[in-house]
Amino acid sequence: MATPADAVFTALADPTRRRLIETLAARQSATASALARELPITRQAVAKHLAALRAARLVRAARRGRETQYSLETKPLAEVSAWAERVGAEWDRHLARLERALADREP
Amino acid sequence: MSAQTSNRRVQREINLDAEADRVWAALTDSALLEDWLAEDVDIDAERGGELTLRVDGEERNGTVIEAEPERRLAFTWEREGEGESLVEFALEPAVGGGTRLVVVEQALNGPVALATTGWEARLKRLELVLGRVLVFA
Repeated sequence: MATPADAVFTALADPTRRRLIETLAARQSATASALARELPITRQAVAKHLAALRAARLVRAARRGRETQYSLETKPLAEVSAWAERVGAEWDRHLARLERALADREP
Repeated sequence: MSAQTSNRRVQREINLDAEADRVWAALTDSALLEDWLAEDVDIDAERGGELTLRVDGEERNGTVIEAEPERRLAFTWEREGEGESLVEFALEPAVGGGTRLVVVEQALNGPVALATTGWEARLKRLELVLGRVLVFA
């Protein structure tokens, strides 16, 4: 079953897209041309990656006059950290119990 | 931010005051697993073996991907309403005695999670899972 988090991970699997997100995180919003100037890739490549990020709802686009401004959607990223927190907490609990179980059954 | 958000992966490590054979038994014996991991555990702890258990009342099913006695155990499981993830345990002697246990759980995403039917999809998934296990080793 594919979840929204899966779409986020697929989008984040690409190192260029992660760079793009970091660049966008450093500013409020930017056009594809401005992003292309900051990254070692063409404007076409930026547009392609932005489309993938929009499909994963990681980036939102807003038209301002003749320009399209892109900015980050922070909610999906927050959901991803929530997964790590939840699963990490579950393992902390399991391992504490494992430690106790081994001590109780000491041969 | 990339360190936290670019991978759905968690890792935990613990030094256990027990030799590897006892830790291995705790990881692979259904009755012993019920002491610490879950309820109603049924595991066939060899490659390709099935795993069923309940964690906090929620059923999870999976497949054993790798079982190298006293060294490595890897299986998949699926949380309710989520995609599959891969759980890997690695055992090694701890400095000063006992056993160091490293647990890594990572979500298997995208095409893997989408591949739900047919043999082709199953084989692809296994290939991917094994690829990840090898990367881990």
